[in-house]
Amino acid sequence: MGGMLGIVAAAILGVVMMFVGLISQKSSVIRIAGVACFLILVGVTAFDFSAIHEQGTQLYFNNMLSVGIKASWFNVLISACAFIYILIFNNHITKVGKNDAEYFALMLFIMVGVFMLSTYNHLLILFIGIEILSIPQYILAGSDKENIKSNEASLKYFLMGAFSTGILLMGITLIYGSVGSFEIGNIATAFQGEVTALPMIGVILLIIAFGFKVSAAPMHWWTADVYDGTPTAITPFMATIVKVAAFIGFINLFHGAFGNIHYSWKLTIAILICVTLFIGNITAVFQQSVKRMLAYSSIAQAGFMLFAVFALNDTAEKSIIYYGVSYTLASIGVFAVLIKLKDYTYEGFNGLGKSHPLYAITATVCLLSLAGIPVTSGFFAKYFVLTAAMEQGLWLGIIVFAVLMAAISIYYYFRVIRAMYFTSSTEEITIESNPMEQILLVINAVLVVLLGLFPQFILG
Amino acid sequence: MSLDLIIFIVLSALTLASAIGVVITRNPITSVLLLILTFFCISGHYLLMNAQFLAIVNIIVYAGAIMVLFLFVIMLMNLNKDTEPQKSTMVQFAGVISGGCLLLVILMAFQSSGIELTQTSTTVSNIGLIKVLGKKLFTDFVFPFEISSVLFLSAMIGTVVLGKKDDDIATAIQDS
Amino acid sequence: MIQNIWLVPLFPLIGFLIAGLGRKQLGNAAGWIASAAVLASFIVSVMIFFEVSAEGFKSIDVHLYDFIKVGKLDIAFEFRVDQLSSLFLLIITGIGFLIHIYSIGYMKGDVGFGKYFAFLNLFIFSMLLLVLGSNFIIMFIGWEGVGLCSYLLIGFWYHKKEYSVAARKAFVMNRIGDLGFLIGMFLIFAKVGTLDFQTLETLSFKGVIAEPGYLTAIAFCFFVGAMGKSAQIPLFTWLPDAMAGPTPVSALIHAATMVTAGIYMITRAHFIFSFSETAQTFILIIGLTTALVSATIAIRQNDIKKVLAYSTVSQLGFMFMALGVGAYTTAVFHVLTHAFFKALLFLGSGSVIHAMSNEQDIRLMGGLKSKMPITHSTFLIGCLAIAGIPPLSGFFSKDEIMMNLFIHGTYGKVFWVLGMIAALLTAYYMFRLYFITFLGEFRGGDKLKSHLHESPALMTMPLIVLAILAAAGGFLGIPEVFAHDAHWLHNFLTPVIEKSLALEPTIHHLSHSAEYIMMAVAVSVAIIGILLAWGSYKKFDAKKENKGIEKFFEDKWHWDEAYENAFQKPFMKMSAFAEKNIERKGIDGGVNGIGKLVEFASDKLRLLQNGSVGVYLFLMVLGMILLFIIQLLSNG
Repeated sequence: MGGMLGIVAAAILGVVMMFVGLISQKSSVIRIAGVACFLILVGVTAFDFSAIHEQGTQLYFNNMLSVGIKASWFNVLISACAFIYILIFNNHITKVGKNDAEYFALMLFIMVGVFMLSTYNHLLILFIGIEILSIPQYILAGSDKENIKSNEASLKYFLMGAFSTGILLMGITLIYGSVGSFEIGNIATAFQGEVTALPMIGVILLIIAFGFKVSAAPMHWWTADVYDGTPTAITPFMATIVKVAAFIGFINLFHGAFGNIHYSWKLTIAILICVTLFIGNITAVFQQSVKRMLAYSSIAQAGFMLFAVFALNDTAEKSIIYYGVSYTLASIGVFAVLIKLKDYTYEGFNGLGKSHPLYAITATVCLLSLAGIPVTSGFFAKYFVLTAAMEQGLWLGIIVFAVLMAAISIYYYFRVIRAMYFTSSTEEITIESNPMEQILLVINAVLVVLLGLFPQFILG
Repeated sequence: MSLDLIIFIVLSALTLASAIGVVITRNPITSVLLLILTFFCISGHYLLMNAQFLAIVNIIVYAGAIMVLFLFVIMLMNLNKDTEPQKSTMVQFAGVISGGCLLLVILMAFQSSGIELTQTSTTVSNIGLIKVLGKKLFTDFVFPFEISSVLFLSAMIGTVVLGKKDDDIATAIQDS
Repeated sequence: MIQNIWLVPLFPLIGFLIAGLGRKQLGNAAGWIASAAVLASFIVSVMIFFEVSAEGFKSIDVHLYDFIKVGKLDIAFEFRVDQLSSLFLLIITGIGFLIHIYSIGYMKGDVGFGKYFAFLNLFIFSMLLLVLGSNFIIMFIGWEGVGLCSYLLIGFWYHKKEYSVAARKAFVMNRIGDLGFLIGMFLIFAKVGTLDFQTLETLSFKGVIAEPGYLTAIAFCFFVGAMGKSAQIPLFTWLPDAMAGPTPVSALIHAATMVTAGIYMITRAHFIFSFSETAQTFILIIGLTTALVSATIAIRQNDIKKVLAYSTVSQLGFMFMALGVGAYTTAVFHVLTHAFFKALLFLGSGSVIHAMSNEQDIRLMGGLKSKMPITHSTFLIGCLAIAGIPPLSGFFSKDEIMMNLFIHGTYGKVFWVLGMIAALLTAYYMFRLYFITFLGEFRGGDKLKSHLHESPALMTMPLIVLAILAAAGGFLGIPEVFAHDAHWLHNFLTPVIEKSLALEPTIHHLSHSAEYIMMAVAVSVAIIGILLAWGSYKKFDAKKENKGIEKFFEDKWHWDEAYENAFQKPFMKMSAFAEKNIERKGIDGGVNGIGKLVEFASDKLRLLQNGSVGVYLFLMVLGMILLFIIQLLSNG
């Protein structure tokens, strides 16, 4: 069975988490249980990985799941990222609302969806995976029930998510209609050379549906409101792990099933890339709230990750994993500092460098990584996806455009750094610092740099 | 023109008309009733495709349970007036235009390539029969069938988490 | 020792960590630790240098570990030790060490003492990485690193708002240059699939990247990178603003090391540039224009550091002229001598500023000669060196550049004349600065006058060492006419660029008499410049306003304003537009909706549905339609 134990474990642990909530109301117990669950998950996926490493690619349930070495390695990494997230944020999560255990349970269910997206070999599994990924998110977005913004985020996300689900289903239907099979392999063999309009429309609809999930423009409208409204403890989970998983699903489908008809959809993806990069970066420049800026920056980062979808080669598939991990760790690091502040505007960061140098320095490392400054992993992440696109042939225009946009992104990331170091605050920032958390933040920041120095660890 | 085709066309027309009615009408009660009609029509399509079980389930679950719930909510909240908020004509107009455009574009795409919609299987399939469906679900499709439970479980948690007042959440879980 | 090359960047890195983490506890010791780290690097560099200068040395790539291996991309973390990099190691660690020592005196008592030295060590580390990297990626890491450190150090005294603005400007301009660098890398990679210098050189001379258009595009991209880092027109305005940082930083980063990264990079990538005549001509013209324009600006500046800053830009222009005619060793020679005398001048000015209680306006100085004898005499040596008076170092390197210009192609003589004008201006503005600052009467008022003092030994010692280097550095490259085969630097560097040299005409076909005449012209031009300055500034009238063209020069040709109008304002407008229309109406509609929601709490749901979601979906559908239409059109 080694290979899909991750899915089973995540589902069972989710249920276990609910029972923990039933047994104990103490948030400390629930927190420990949550951390333990995610730790077990890392262990199980690592076991899966070692099994797959020995046996090679495994197929399950009439080829519905195909667990390869890349997919299971991704599972290990994403569980590790989720574990780091839970470690840093567990005590903030329990401060939101009153249903602590359920939040952890929902996150574990999301992990089921994540694993399904990385291993599916059948469009039906893709659909269920995306839904398992999405529905708990709608709930988590609204978990701060007292807060009207959180309610709004939840409802908005739900309504628009339902719309995108419709589009996804329509796309799957059209593909099925023209191939007569849900299986990735069968679709790939059916689509060779020229394709007719029927599957073509299906492919575009799927691009749109995935574009919505990864918040690519022009399907990104929900992103800012939802990320902004969602409790800050939950947002990083949605913006990183879920988004990266959606990207893995995106790539699996488009490289696996539609790889032979790359010519037909690469233009659409190229347009998405340009629009996403443009809108994400330009609007991020004008935000006053750092949280909202991070929402737009996540759109901009999605633009870069789309390059991996665009480029149909081995480098792209590896680079998306690297990009995902690097982006996830960096975002978690920034959010971890943001959540400590009362004022989410840039002014809220004023003088943090002086009053809390440790928080400031970890945030700086992560921001540098997001901005793509060398030595940090963010630079190599961007570099890899662009190299992948470059290997694909000379689409120099969008690469130049992307590099230009990356330069613009410096502006808003450095605004935070400037606020922390180059501006003094009128009032003292009070942060209850907790040594455990500080250590975690430092580890996180060190990881961001180490991955930049030894990218081979993830790529190899 | 075979009888099948005639029934198909009539049913399709009815489905589309009632579905449009759901969106257009201002009165929530009428809207819900039209939705029920739509579901019945879809069940008719299932019957045409020799899927009696799905047709019945569709009626029982959607037209029966869910729609009754909808009606309850509407009546409990006393929404049975024309409470549709006033949208500006601009927005409505733009919405219609853009929706129409999308339809047109897709139609054009179909037409431009001049494809004929080929039937994937010529014989009438019997997948919709309860026995066959059951076997399929528990053999070929056992994984998606089982994993859907995670989906429903999280939806249930969601209902409890969002729907209950925070104070009695513990009792709510125990009750369920 | 060569296999232990990694020690060189390791020491400053350790120094950075120690000084950075212990900046509170260490106090003044942080400065000493940082200096010791650089000294250790310097010692290792010297040892490596001796090994490298041994007869018949071939360049060595020291492999540390496999950095990246994915798909076609295979990048090793490798250091390249050859004549060029070992020479730069010496410059960086040697001058870096002197500046560290100087800084201990200069920064004494500053609140950010420890932080300052941490940054300085980090800078040295990045610069060493830049120089040592055996492929473009490692070089780029260092390249970005120095940009970042420069940003941190320019904005070091951040409590003044304009300082942090200057820091940002420097960073943005550098980033524009980096774009060129990155794109150049992608272009090379797309063509040959490697970024390793050694492999690229071999491939290039085999004619693998033979299409001239493609090669020129690559060369242009890299040159844009060099423009940003080495402050060439049009990306030069950041450098004078960068003077906001502490003066030793200006000496180290903005005179001696970082700004020469562009020169280093082009020399390193000579195998690209040598094949593209268009790019070379472009470099030549840009270099010449920069040299002239910034020299004219320097004539009318009144801030002691601004004069030196524009002078740096101008001298960098000279170096690019040399690169433009393919005289790589000459450019490196000028880098070397310039590092000596410009570091000297900057540190001298720092000493002056220190004595003047942070006053930088030369109109308030004057007569410092008697108060600060050591600073004065070393500064004078620096001025003479940069003006090109033999036998000081500047004479040799500048003369060599001029010589190379003269023999270059059809228009070489025109370039030579223009270059001479720039040289004349150099002598003029440097001695204007010297006369106003050190001669005449003190104009700063009594209060300042009582404070005047010579700087402590920690600061004057580096000055003296640099003065000796600035005076004698020229003998590393004695021209052919004086002694046969005595140009040590040229001989030393030849193995690195051998193949490119074969493509260029040599300097030797100029007759000796012609060379003597040109030298005489060069020296007399410098002397004329000095005499002109003497004529005008023997008696300095601080109250005289500049008019006409002089005012234009004083206002720096209005470059800054031009940029503001051409780029900044439209960008701001565009973004304001985007904010107003996309952000406010589209997205903030939702946020404003929340405001209303709180007001009409009872209407929550209604408003939500009525509000933005509909608009969002509408916009999304519009996007979908566009995507479909584009797809349809593209598929025919």
